[in-house]
Amino acid sequence: MTQARFVLRESAKTLYRHPTIALGSVLSLTLIFLLFMIFWVAALSTDRFYTDMLRQVQMEVFIAESVTDSGLVRIASAVRSIDGVDSLRQVSKEDARQELARLVGLDLLVGYDTLNPLPRSMILTVKQPSLTVAEMMRIEQTISVIPGVEDILYSRDWLVKAEQTRSAISTVGFAIGLLILLTAVITSSNSIRLMTRARGFGFHQMMLLGAGRFFVAAPFLLEGFVIAGISALFGWLATWYGHTRVEFTQFPIVLPTAKYILLFCLSAAMLGAISGLLGVRKLLR
Amino acid sequence: MQGTLVHLSDIQIRTKRGEELFSGLNFTLLAERSAVIIGGAGSGKTTITELLIGMQRPISGTIELFGEQFQQPSRRQIRRIRRKIGGVGGPFGLVPSLTVAENIQMPLIIAGERIEHQKERMLKLLGEFSLLNHAVQYPASLTRVEHMLVQIARASIAYQPLMIIDEPSAGLDSRTYARVFDHLIQASRSGRSLIILTSEKPPMEIPNCDHYTIEKGMLV
Repeated sequence: MTQARFVLRESAKTLYRHPTIALGSVLSLTLIFLLFMIFWVAALSTDRFYTDMLRQVQMEVFIAESVTDSGLVRIASAVRSIDGVDSLRQVSKEDARQELARLVGLDLLVGYDTLNPLPRSMILTVKQPSLTVAEMMRIEQTISVIPGVEDILYSRDWLVKAEQTRSAISTVGFAIGLLILLTAVITSSNSIRLMTRARGFGFHQMMLLGAGRFFVAAPFLLEGFVIAGISALFGWLATWYGHTRVEFTQFPIVLPTAKYILLFCLSAAMLGAISGLLGVRKLLR
Repeated sequence: MQGTLVHLSDIQIRTKRGEELFSGLNFTLLAERSAVIIGGAGSGKTTITELLIGMQRPISGTIELFGEQFQQPSRRQIRRIRRKIGGVGGPFGLVPSLTVAENIQMPLIIAGERIEHQKERMLKLLGEFSLLNHAVQYPASLTRVEHMLVQIARASIAYQPLMIIDEPSAGLDSRTYARVFDHLIQASRSGRSLIILTSEKPPMEIPNCDHYTIEKGMLV
């Protein structure tokens, strides 16, 4: 028997000999990973929700009355060249009047056609990576020094709050994620410890014959790898099944991509292997 | 020292309870020679075994095994030394989760030997020790003598140059004890060195053998 075959056989033997412990650890780990997946999906969906909302944030640049039409073209070109600016739409006095009429419900400037006091403006959208308070402030400052620009308005307070909420969600998510992973490690290392308890004497004997610690521990590392990997896959399948059954109309549920799911299952399996090592470490001393 | 398998010089050991067990133990075993060490219960026979396989460390003195200093051995050195020693009895036992065949095969699996060689050696030893019918049994279903025979077979499979047999008579009647000794004599004749630690005089003479008694923490 080769060493690799021995390790594979011993690993399968432990699962076969302690099916209830193995099933128990698969179920408990599946639940833990399911919790992690639900949280992951919730975090991704919330992030998408905020991103979509932030995409609607616009900056309005008001132009001074004294600026000529050629000056307006110059300002528009200067604004477009600012790093982070995505699109720019010019609003004439007439457009502003129509917009006001739309908002108020009646045209307040009837009879004052030649004396329209509403300013000309430019409405600009910002590229996705620049949709942060700091970036918006940088763009605002750059625009404010362009001659002819009178005022700049955007929902800065809302943006600050959105950013704070997003950051709070990531911090809490990170903490909960760590907690869940720690629970996964403890749970699987405990069940592996349970499976190894009866085999301490056998380990000791193999080491007296000159077996290395890795050789003795390898079946349990493999076992932890398999149990945690399968549990992560089950957790993902349960989440996916739930996704096919539940639908929200207000915002879309975002699932991680296949690449990330694969990475998640592999990381979970690695975590299982580490748990296996933790489970047998006392016996290897 | 050329041709020396074991050389213990001035060994002092303190037990876990803090008692000094040996006060300057000296012992030398040359290649292809054997030694029988006789001592009563608690005289330190198993401690000598443990010393030779790196389970115990002396508080003073020097240990040389297979030409290597074994004072503060690293894990790697302990593994290397253990692979050269076949152990029977005392701290040695069978792996309960492995069958008789797998237990016998284990030193070769650990050494990473070719599968054909493993099978060939295992079958030969199962035959020699009349264990073919027990090949797929687990140690829990074996008798004491079968247990002992499996251990001797395991201690022989990898042609380990040194075999340590700790209390071969334990729980055996005189007839089976003699049967076990037959195998030990064969092992000795095949050029292997044996250290037999026992509480009573062996029933048969081992070839090329020196006899010692543990008295007051010394070998005489």
